[in-house]
Amino acid sequence: MTVLLILLCLFALLLVGVPVAFALGGLGLGMLIFGGFSPLMVPQAILSTLDGFILLAVPLFLLMSNILLKGGVGRDLFTAVQAWVGHWPGGLAVATILSCGLFAAISGSSVATAATIGTVAIPEMVKRGYGKRFVYGLLAAGGTLGILIPPSIPMIVFGFVAEESVIALFLAGIGPGLFLVSLFVIFAMLHARFGGGYTPVPAAKWGERLSATQRALPSLALAILIVTGLYSGAFTPTEAAAVGFTAALLITIFWLRTLTWSAYWAAVRESAITTAAILLIVAGAKVFGKAIALYRIPQDISAFIAANIEGPLIFILLVSAVLLLMGLVFEALSMILIMTPVLLPAAIGLGFDPIWFGIFMVIMVECALITPPVGLNLYVIQAVARVSLGEVARGVWPFLALMIITVGVLYAWPDLALYIPFKW
Amino acid sequence: MTIITTISRIAGLFGACLMAATGALLTYEVIARYFFVKPTIWAAELSQLCLIWGCLLAMAWVLSIRRHITVNAVTNLLPPGAQTVCVAVSLLVLIVFSGVAAIYGWGIFHDSFDRGRTTGSLLNLPSWVAELSVPVGFTLLAAQAVVELIGLRRAHLPSLGRSHE
Repeated sequence: MTVLLILLCLFALLLVGVPVAFALGGLGLGMLIFGGFSPLMVPQAILSTLDGFILLAVPLFLLMSNILLKGGVGRDLFTAVQAWVGHWPGGLAVATILSCGLFAAISGSSVATAATIGTVAIPEMVKRGYGKRFVYGLLAAGGTLGILIPPSIPMIVFGFVAEESVIALFLAGIGPGLFLVSLFVIFAMLHARFGGGYTPVPAAKWGERLSATQRALPSLALAILIVTGLYSGAFTPTEAAAVGFTAALLITIFWLRTLTWSAYWAAVRESAITTAAILLIVAGAKVFGKAIALYRIPQDISAFIAANIEGPLIFILLVSAVLLLMGLVFEALSMILIMTPVLLPAAIGLGFDPIWFGIFMVIMVECALITPPVGLNLYVIQAVARVSLGEVARGVWPFLALMIITVGVLYAWPDLALYIPFKW
Repeated sequence: MTIITTISRIAGLFGACLMAATGALLTYEVIARYFFVKPTIWAAELSQLCLIWGCLLAMAWVLSIRRHITVNAVTNLLPPGAQTVCVAVSLLVLIVFSGVAAIYGWGIFHDSFDRGRTTGSLLNLPSWVAELSVPVGFTLLAAQAVVELIGLRRAHLPSLGRSHE
């Protein structure tokens, strides 16, 4: 009964339009006062959240992606990939997906990925006669790779809340990320083969390929530096983010010579706004998490699940359904922050690996990013392509189905995620 | 009232600079460790301090430019009058929460200041340096929220933020 009442209050506050951070924090505060606990826990929880070294990676990865975005790295990546695969069946679509995958490796955010690649790929694909719905769906879904292929801000937040290794989460994202890229590529080629209607691109000359690759090389090197640095233990995720930020500055100022002072300042402002908005939600969720722990709510939910849900498959199906429903109206990080403390103990109790569960949550959150009416990537593509939300939303369904298939494969074969961090 | 909004903006932009500074500090740390084989004792701690102050100083500015993350799916469907009521309720929640955080945060700061408590890390900074950010940030946020509440009488405001970031 208490659980229901608390959930009801939380949803009421959120749906009234109280900013997520203050809805979580405010309800947590109310619960503390109502339960006779000291409100001193509120500033303590805020301070202990922001004091987390791992969360420093959030502004730095955001800065890195915003600087690369403002420096026009997306165009270079897309041009280079297109030079190699543009002449394949559905070549521009394949180039778009591969560019999203590559940009995802130097960006922790789906917005940056969708916006960067979308800006260059959408006009090009529409000009070549690809169906608009397919193009918008492809870009909205391709952008979500940004949070599955490391680095990833939602994984940092999950790692922080679940007290799990962010490096293990990053490495566990690589397998499912590559799998999803492959599914998208296969779908794009089949769509081109049987859907038709586009003008093929002639194969680029070797000279064009090499010069385009040379321009994109520093960004590719940055992606390799970050992943290998993390894998070898040379950097912590936070240090990788700092090195990535500095490298992004060097690449865009000295190599590409595309970053202006005003673009840099815009990147700093934009990253600060997003960081403050995100980390305040994490702090609010910490207050809420402390309050529900004092009311023993996660334990009650775990006990309820243990008593009423038979087996891990039913649990995952139920959680997937709940996350998909929540994803219709909730934003990605709020879902992770609200649901992780509630679901993770039950998931561990049922024998799931917490790292596996984190990757599962991230893929479900990716689905939330492209499901209307509230889907972050739908808004991004809507803004980039200047079309209606409905038109973008209608194109995402096949890609949503491919993401659900990935979840199915991940369930059947957990090593898709766990092999690289633990068995390689 | 415009003074408070201006202070929020200046604080927010200063916060943004602090967050960008963490990049330089931590890159220096990596370089110092790998190239000079001499890790610093200050880079990590100062970066964390920059993040705490940066975030808490930016909160009020983020409110004034309506960039806090909110769920707008339901309020978007409401008529303007009902939207105003929702925004007013949201601002009241924000003011109460910020007020409590500021008052109790001040208590934590004051206690550490009085007792001369330090972080106990290698740098051993006074604890209050970080703790002061909570009363400062939340007082500014509460003041900005009051400004927004008063401003509701003059201009319609459909929502306090965006559905996404």
